[in-house]
Amino acid sequence: MSATNNALAEAPESVTVSTSATSTSILLDEVTKRYPGQAKAAVDGITLEIPAGKIVMLVGPSGCGKTTTLKMINRLIEPTEGRIKLGDEDVTTIDGDELRRRMGYVIQAGGLFPHMTVASNIGLVPKMLGWPKAKIAARVDELLELVSLDPAAYRDRYPRELSGGQQQRVGVARALAADPPVLLMDEPFGAVDPITRQRLQDELLKIQDEVQKTMVIVTHDFDEAVKLGDWIVVFSEGAHIVQYDSPERILAEPANEFVENFIGSGAGLKQLTLNRVKDVALADAIIGHPGEAAVDVLERIVAAGHDHAVILDDRQRPLSWPSRRQLGRLTTISASADPELPVVGQGSTLNDALDTMLVSNAGAALVTGRRDSFAGVITVEVIMDAIATARANARGTAVAPVGTNTDSLQIVTDGAA
Amino acid sequence: MTDTLGAETTRGETALAEPVRGDVPGGARSWRGLLIQPIVVALILAGFVVWLATAHLSPTERSTLNPHDLLAYTGQHLALTFVSAAIVLVITVPLGILLTRRPFVRASGVILALANVGQAAPAVGLIVLLAFWLGFGFWAAVVALVVYAALPVLRNTMIGIQSVDERLVEAGRGMGMSALAVLIRVELPLAVPVMLVGIRTALVLLVGSAALATFVGAGGLGLLITTGVNLFLPRVLISGALLTALLALLVDWAGRVVEHYARPKGLQA
Amino acid sequence: MLWNFLVDRWGQIWFASWQHFSLVVQSLALAVLIAMLIAFLVYRVPQLSSIANGVSAVGLTIPSFALIGLLITPLGFGVAPSVFVVTFFAVLPILRNAIVGLGTVDRSVVESARGIGMSRLRVLFTIEFPIAWPIILTGVRISAQMVMGIAAVAAYALGPGLGGFIFSGLSRLGGANSLESVVVGVVGVIVLALILDLLLLGLGRLTISRGIRVSH
Repeated sequence: MSATNNALAEAPESVTVSTSATSTSILLDEVTKRYPGQAKAAVDGITLEIPAGKIVMLVGPSGCGKTTTLKMINRLIEPTEGRIKLGDEDVTTIDGDELRRRMGYVIQAGGLFPHMTVASNIGLVPKMLGWPKAKIAARVDELLELVSLDPAAYRDRYPRELSGGQQQRVGVARALAADPPVLLMDEPFGAVDPITRQRLQDELLKIQDEVQKTMVIVTHDFDEAVKLGDWIVVFSEGAHIVQYDSPERILAEPANEFVENFIGSGAGLKQLTLNRVKDVALADAIIGHPGEAAVDVLERIVAAGHDHAVILDDRQRPLSWPSRRQLGRLTTISASADPELPVVGQGSTLNDALDTMLVSNAGAALVTGRRDSFAGVITVEVIMDAIATARANARGTAVAPVGTNTDSLQIVTDGAA
Repeated sequence: MTDTLGAETTRGETALAEPVRGDVPGGARSWRGLLIQPIVVALILAGFVVWLATAHLSPTERSTLNPHDLLAYTGQHLALTFVSAAIVLVITVPLGILLTRRPFVRASGVILALANVGQAAPAVGLIVLLAFWLGFGFWAAVVALVVYAALPVLRNTMIGIQSVDERLVEAGRGMGMSALAVLIRVELPLAVPVMLVGIRTALVLLVGSAALATFVGAGGLGLLITTGVNLFLPRVLISGALLTALLALLVDWAGRVVEHYARPKGLQA
Repeated sequence: MLWNFLVDRWGQIWFASWQHFSLVVQSLALAVLIAMLIAFLVYRVPQLSSIANGVSAVGLTIPSFALIGLLITPLGFGVAPSVFVVTFFAVLPILRNAIVGLGTVDRSVVESARGIGMSRLRVLFTIEFPIAWPIILTGVRISAQMVMGIAAVAAYALGPGLGGFIFSGLSRLGGANSLESVVVGVVGVIVLALILDLLLLGLGRLTISRGIRVSH
């Protein structure tokens, strides 16, 4: 929605978010969940280690138990057997409500309480923890800025006035309110359209850059897992861990046919989701500003041998991308923003960049970095080069964390590194 | 009695998959729609007063319809209505909340069936029956009225709470809210609109049934109706009926006003 | 004592019950016709629909006892005011549900029916009405319960039915069999209400096409 753009127009330049210095690791130790009256366990004895400060994606087909596993981390579902550790602390038996106040939890479509304002929603956990009012208000504003929503505009709105994407952002802000070391998300971006989903994924990555939380995210979308995850757990039925490894290694060496099928065909092009725009070389562009004489800009383009100029506003954000011909028709550069400008963020994947280019019928896209300021131009050729290089280097460096099954049924081929 | 497609209130509003919602022309959003009712009531009341002052009434009629008694009857009527309403609320709202908690869900079927029977019984029958047991007077009538009006409030309380999106409860628990905190801060506020409709329905029901309380000597505007019938005084009869109807409309309007203002902001559907 | 009362007066009780039941059923039938007619006329015009709903809401606010009292003067005592009052109140919930029910019919379904050449009336009867029927039937059930009780009050205007037992028991308070009389009246109405509800449920099972049946 354009409301988001307006919000960005007023947000200040820099934001420092106060965060805890450490995030915590999580360990599920031989955890089982058996429901009464069902022969097979929903989660049958898994041991899962989630490293501190990393994003771990839980993927698998519907009904495989990934959500159940997630909900056992914060004990919304109590495990039948096994222990759960948060860092060094065994939290299997402590008070459930107290445990959950120490973790952030985001569900699909935000789960915002419709009868409370955005500010009240976000401030709920701090309020429960007894923070003073002033501190809560400051924190609310801080978090709204973190998720790119102008505090003045959004703090007193009600959820029903927000779009799906905005609600989701508020949901994330709410989960981060008390600065928990761990963030759990259950299909957080499932309820929005693909374009909004891409933006939200980028936002999450930017946020993680700043706050470095331990995140466990459930998704059924493997592309999303590759884009967001530092590590991916592939589950089959019964929350059985089939492969737990880095995205690169899973794509390059799927453990078995199940994983291959899950990845889908065309794994080769999945390389596109592994590489970010900021990893490739961006081209420069001739820059113009509103108010300049079109003739001057045109001269500079011709001198440099370019076909287009990038018009930036006073905050270095791209407004439009006129061609020589268009410039020829103008006298002064206007300040109006082109709504269909192909723009892609630095943190976006090459896949997103290609999508944006295809949608705009251009062979290139404008790249933005911090605070949406212009960073360069990315072209199709550059992406093609990057794919070729990436395929040659499909190796990660770190060793995958622990993820094993301790269930009764031994399934052959367990290819974790 | 099996439940229908959702909320079934006898003297109530639409029964659909959605629980009953207030049905004001113009909707609960427009406060302008709220003005029509009291204005009409006021006009008719004014007309009545004028007529009362100027019409040629027989001495008996005059004496029955004197303002002092009229006010007394109205007062008794309101007392019956609101005392019964208060008792109904105190009993059925907590009961309704309790029955939506997981351990009691099975009991809810039985209790609802019982309440259903209470509603199927004719109000006048209940009032008279209880009078045999409790004697005549105000409190006997109140007991009967409470039994009669329990169902709409109970049912709407339960449906209102059950209609709160499960995922909101999950989000609340997931954030670390205790079950009680979720009930008080999430489920109840969101259930309030539906509950208020049930309460309003019950109030209107009570005004109508309180008219029958005269049969057991509890006074109220129904006395005018029975006097009018017994002594062949049609004008007294009509006055009683008219005043009762106007009172019901007024109480209904008051209920709608409360509904409108008590609706949590952000829920204006 | 209650048992003796029942046995002794069985003929009377049966007769009164039958009268009560048929009063309600016939009034309901009449109410359905009236409500449907009004609904057909207004459901496609939002303003008319909301006026109809508003009238229904106001009508339901009017105490039945008051209305009976009001009608004694013009209509006298006996059957007439009873039928009028019972039918009047029966119409209101049915009317509201009928409007809502007809409103749930997807416009595109009607369009395709017209598209294959069905006339307006035929679409109404073979498509819109059957789809709206479950909701209308729910309204009928609500009405049925409601007017069972109202019919009892109608006995005050010397109307037919079980209400008579209640009032005669009241007037003979303390006298022989007065309590039994009232109990018979109350329980009788409850039983009739249950029976009618079951019958209507059964009617629903029979007449609602399985494609749109709501599972309870």
